[in-house]
Amino acid sequence: MGKHHKNLLNNLAELRMAKGLTQQALSDSAEVSRKSINAIENGIYVPSTVLALKIAKTLGCSVENIFRLPK
Amino acid sequence: MRPKELLMLREILKAMTYFRRFLILFICGITQIFFAVYLLLELFGFSLGLHISSSGYMFIPGILIFASSGLLTVSYYFGDTKTNNSLYDEYTAIRYYKLGAFGYALNGIGIFLLFSFQDWSNWSFQSANAMIYQIASFAWLIFGVLLVWFSLGDYKEYKNG
Repeated sequence: MGKHHKNLLNNLAELRMAKGLTQQALSDSAEVSRKSINAIENGIYVPSTVLALKIAKTLGCSVENIFRLPK
Repeated sequence: MRPKELLMLREILKAMTYFRRFLILFICGITQIFFAVYLLLELFGFSLGLHISSSGYMFIPGILIFASSGLLTVSYYFGDTKTNNSLYDEYTAIRYYKLGAFGYALNGIGIFLLFSFQDWSNWSFQSANAMIYQIASFAWLIFGVLLVWFSLGDYKEYKNG
Protein backbone atom coordinates (compact mmCIF):
# COMPACT_ATOMS: atom_id res chain seq x y z
CA MET A 1 0.00 0.00 0.00
CA GLY A 2 1.31 3.44 -0.90
CA LYS A 3 1.52 6.44 1.33
CA HIS A 4 -1.78 7.68 2.73
CA HIS A 5 -3.39 11.05 3.05
CA LYS A 6 -4.00 11.88 6.73
CA ASN A 7 -7.77 11.96 6.11
CA LEU A 8 -8.11 9.11 3.64
CA LEU A 9 -6.57 5.66 3.23
CA ASN A 10 -6.54 4.10 -0.22
CA ASN A 11 -5.91 0.80 -2.03
CA LEU A 12 -5.83 2.39 -5.45
CA ALA A 13 -2.38 1.19 -6.54
CA GLU A 14 -3.13 -2.44 -5.59
CA LEU A 15 -6.55 -2.46 -7.25
CA ARG A 16 -5.21 -0.79 -10.38
CA MET A 17 -2.35 -3.27 -10.70
CA ALA A 18 -4.69 -6.18 -10.03
CA LYS A 19 -6.71 -5.01 -13.02
CA GLY A 20 -3.52 -4.79 -15.07
CA LEU A 21 -3.92 -1.08 -15.69
CA THR A 22 -1.17 1.51 -15.89
CA GLN A 23 -1.65 4.91 -14.29
CA GLN A 24 -2.01 6.35 -17.79
CA ALA A 25 -4.72 3.83 -18.76
CA LEU A 26 -6.66 4.49 -15.58
CA SER A 27 -6.34 8.26 -16.00
CA ASP A 28 -7.58 8.08 -19.61
CA SER A 29 -10.64 6.14 -18.58
CA ALA A 30 -11.34 8.27 -15.49
CA GLU A 31 -10.83 11.44 -17.57
CA VAL A 32 -8.08 13.00 -15.47
CA SER A 33 -4.34 13.49 -15.71
CA ARG A 34 -1.90 10.70 -14.89
CA LYS A 35 -0.49 13.06 -12.26
CA SER A 36 -3.85 13.04 -10.44
CA ILE A 37 -3.84 9.24 -10.23
CA ASN A 38 -0.25 9.29 -9.02
CA ALA A 39 -1.09 11.97 -6.41
CA ILE A 40 -4.10 9.98 -5.15
CA GLU A 41 -2.08 6.75 -4.91
CA ASN A 42 0.63 8.52 -2.95
CA GLY A 43 -1.80 10.16 -0.54
CA ILE A 44 -1.01 13.67 -1.76
CA TYR A 45 -4.47 14.40 -3.03
CA VAL A 46 -8.03 13.52 -1.98
CA PRO A 47 -10.20 13.18 -5.11
CA SER A 48 -13.62 14.74 -5.59
CA THR A 49 -16.70 12.52 -5.32
CA VAL A 50 -17.13 12.51 -9.09
CA LEU A 51 -13.54 11.45 -9.68
CA ALA A 52 -13.71 8.76 -6.95
CA LEU A 53 -16.85 7.35 -8.61
CA LYS A 54 -15.23 7.42 -12.06
CA ILE A 55 -12.18 5.56 -10.74
CA ALA A 56 -14.39 3.00 -8.99
CA LYS A 57 -16.41 2.51 -12.18
CA THR A 58 -13.24 1.93 -14.20
CA LEU A 59 -11.91 -0.57 -11.65
CA GLY A 60 -15.29 -2.30 -11.38
CA CYS A 61 -15.61 -1.94 -7.63
CA SER A 62 -17.23 0.35 -5.11
CA VAL A 63 -15.67 3.57 -3.80
CA GLU A 64 -15.49 1.99 -0.33
CA ASN A 65 -13.23 -0.74 -1.72
CA ILE A 66 -10.73 1.89 -2.84
CA PHE A 67 -10.99 4.53 -0.14
CA ARG A 68 -11.68 4.35 3.55
CA LEU A 69 -11.46 6.68 6.50
CA PRO A 70 -8.64 6.19 9.02
CA LYS A 71 -9.76 4.67 12.33
CA MET B 1 -6.97 36.58 -41.92
CA ARG B 2 -8.09 33.91 -44.41
CA PRO B 3 -10.16 30.91 -43.28
CA LYS B 4 -7.23 28.56 -44.02
CA GLU B 5 -4.97 30.55 -41.69
CA LEU B 6 -7.69 30.63 -39.05
CA LEU B 7 -7.99 26.85 -39.25
CA MET B 8 -4.21 26.50 -38.93
CA LEU B 9 -4.23 28.79 -35.87
CA ARG B 10 -7.02 26.71 -34.39
CA GLU B 11 -5.03 23.50 -34.97
CA ILE B 12 -2.00 25.01 -33.22
CA LEU B 13 -4.11 26.14 -30.26
CA LYS B 14 -5.81 22.75 -30.06
CA ALA B 15 -2.50 21.00 -29.70
CA MET B 16 -1.65 22.27 -26.22
CA THR B 17 0.71 19.88 -24.45
CA TYR B 18 2.46 19.77 -21.09
CA PHE B 19 5.64 20.92 -22.81
CA ARG B 20 3.98 23.88 -24.52
CA ARG B 21 2.26 24.95 -21.31
CA PHE B 22 5.59 24.58 -19.50
CA LEU B 23 7.25 26.86 -22.08
CA ILE B 24 4.50 29.50 -21.90
CA LEU B 25 4.44 29.64 -18.10
CA PHE B 26 8.21 29.34 -17.72
CA ILE B 27 8.82 32.27 -20.07
CA CYS B 28 6.21 34.35 -18.18
CA GLY B 29 7.75 33.44 -14.82
CA ILE B 30 11.36 34.05 -15.86
CA THR B 31 10.43 37.41 -17.42
CA GLN B 32 8.71 38.47 -14.20
CA ILE B 33 11.70 37.36 -12.13
CA PHE B 34 14.09 39.22 -14.46
CA PHE B 35 12.16 42.49 -14.21
CA ALA B 36 11.66 42.07 -10.46
CA VAL B 37 15.36 41.49 -9.83
CA TYR B 38 16.29 44.33 -12.18
CA LEU B 39 13.92 46.74 -10.39
CA LEU B 40 14.95 45.61 -6.91
CA LEU B 41 18.63 46.06 -7.74
CA GLU B 42 17.92 49.52 -9.19
CA LEU B 43 15.92 50.50 -6.12
CA PHE B 44 18.72 49.42 -3.79
CA GLY B 45 21.35 51.23 -5.84
CA PHE B 46 22.92 48.27 -7.69
CA SER B 47 22.26 49.09 -11.33
CA LEU B 48 22.84 46.34 -13.88
CA GLY B 49 23.57 49.01 -16.47
CA LEU B 50 21.03 47.63 -18.93
CA HIS B 51 19.38 51.06 -19.36
CA ILE B 52 15.87 49.63 -19.25
CA SER B 53 13.69 52.65 -18.73
CA SER B 54 11.19 51.91 -15.98
CA SER B 55 8.24 53.29 -17.86
CA GLY B 56 9.32 52.01 -21.27
CA TYR B 57 9.57 48.27 -20.67
CA MET B 58 7.71 47.52 -17.46
CA PHE B 59 4.56 46.61 -19.36
CA ILE B 60 6.27 43.49 -20.78
CA PRO B 61 5.52 41.07 -17.88
CA GLY B 62 1.88 42.21 -17.83
CA ILE B 63 1.48 41.83 -21.59
CA LEU B 64 3.04 38.36 -21.42
CA ILE B 65 0.68 37.27 -18.64
CA PHE B 66 -2.30 38.69 -20.53
CA ALA B 67 -1.29 36.95 -23.77
CA SER B 68 -0.53 33.65 -22.00
CA SER B 69 -3.85 33.67 -20.16
CA GLY B 70 -5.59 34.28 -23.48
CA LEU B 71 -3.64 31.53 -25.21
CA LEU B 72 -4.38 28.99 -22.48
CA THR B 73 -8.06 29.94 -22.39
CA VAL B 74 -8.40 29.66 -26.16
CA SER B 75 -6.53 26.35 -26.17
CA TYR B 76 -8.98 25.05 -23.57
CA TYR B 77 -12.02 26.02 -25.65
CA PHE B 78 -10.55 24.66 -28.90
CA GLY B 79 -8.88 21.65 -27.28
CA ASP B 80 -10.25 18.14 -27.51
CA THR B 81 -11.79 16.57 -24.42
CA LYS B 82 -8.97 14.10 -23.83
CA THR B 83 -6.30 16.81 -23.82
CA ASN B 84 -8.39 19.06 -21.60
CA ASN B 85 -9.09 16.21 -19.16
CA SER B 86 -5.38 15.73 -18.80
CA LEU B 87 -4.15 19.32 -18.81
CA TYR B 88 -6.92 21.04 -16.90
CA ASP B 89 -8.15 18.47 -14.41
CA GLU B 90 -9.16 19.04 -10.79
CA TYR B 91 -5.74 18.20 -9.32
CA THR B 92 -4.07 20.78 -11.61
CA ALA B 93 -6.72 23.33 -10.66
CA ILE B 94 -6.16 22.73 -6.95
CA ARG B 95 -2.39 22.92 -7.40
CA TYR B 96 -2.78 26.23 -9.21
CA TYR B 97 -5.22 27.52 -6.60
CA LYS B 98 -2.91 26.56 -3.72
CA LEU B 99 0.09 28.23 -5.33
CA GLY B 100 -2.03 31.31 -6.08
CA ALA B 101 -3.28 31.50 -2.50
CA PHE B 102 0.30 31.11 -1.22
CA GLY B 103 1.37 33.92 -3.57
CA TYR B 104 -1.39 36.27 -2.41
CA ALA B 105 -0.53 35.54 1.23
CA LEU B 106 3.15 36.32 0.67
CA ASN B 107 2.19 39.40 -1.31
CA GLY B 108 0.00 40.61 1.55
CA ILE B 109 2.86 40.21 4.03
CA GLY B 110 5.24 41.90 1.58
CA ILE B 111 2.97 44.89 1.01
CA PHE B 112 2.50 45.24 4.77
CA LEU B 113 6.31 45.27 5.23
CA LEU B 114 6.80 47.70 2.34
CA PHE B 115 4.26 50.06 3.86
CA SER B 116 5.92 49.69 7.27
CA PHE B 117 9.39 50.84 6.33
CA GLN B 118 8.43 53.90 4.27
CA ASP B 119 9.54 57.27 5.58
CA TRP B 120 6.09 58.85 5.87
CA SER B 121 7.45 62.05 7.47
CA ASN B 122 9.30 62.92 4.24
CA TRP B 123 6.68 61.66 1.84
CA SER B 124 6.88 62.90 -1.75
CA PHE B 125 5.77 61.93 -5.22
CA GLN B 126 9.22 60.41 -5.71
CA SER B 127 8.78 58.19 -2.63
CA ALA B 128 5.29 57.21 -3.80
CA ASN B 129 6.70 56.32 -7.21
CA ALA B 130 9.47 54.27 -5.63
CA MET B 131 6.95 52.43 -3.47
CA ILE B 132 4.85 51.54 -6.51
CA TYR B 133 7.97 50.04 -8.10
CA GLN B 134 8.78 48.19 -4.87
CA ILE B 135 5.28 46.68 -4.75
CA ALA B 136 5.41 45.77 -8.46
CA SER B 137 8.83 44.16 -8.19
CA PHE B 138 7.86 42.24 -5.06
CA ALA B 139 4.66 40.93 -6.68
CA TRP B 140 6.54 39.98 -9.87
CA LEU B 141 9.18 38.18 -7.86
CA ILE B 142 6.64 36.16 -5.85
CA PHE B 143 4.36 35.29 -8.77
CA GLY B 144 7.29 34.78 -11.15
CA VAL B 145 8.83 32.20 -8.81
CA LEU B 146 5.45 30.49 -8.33
CA LEU B 147 4.83 30.41 -12.09
CA VAL B 148 8.23 28.82 -12.66
CA TRP B 149 7.49 26.36 -9.85
CA PHE B 150 4.15 25.42 -11.44
CA SER B 151 5.71 25.15 -14.90
CA LEU B 152 8.37 22.76 -13.61
CA GLY B 153 5.55 20.37 -12.63
CA ASP B 154 4.46 20.43 -16.28
CA TYR B 155 8.03 19.81 -17.39
CA LYS B 156 8.32 16.80 -15.07
CA GLU B 157 5.05 15.46 -16.47
CA TYR B 158 6.34 15.99 -20.01
CA LYS B 159 9.56 14.11 -19.21
CA ASN B 160 8.05 11.26 -17.15
CA GLY B 161 4.40 11.16 -18.23
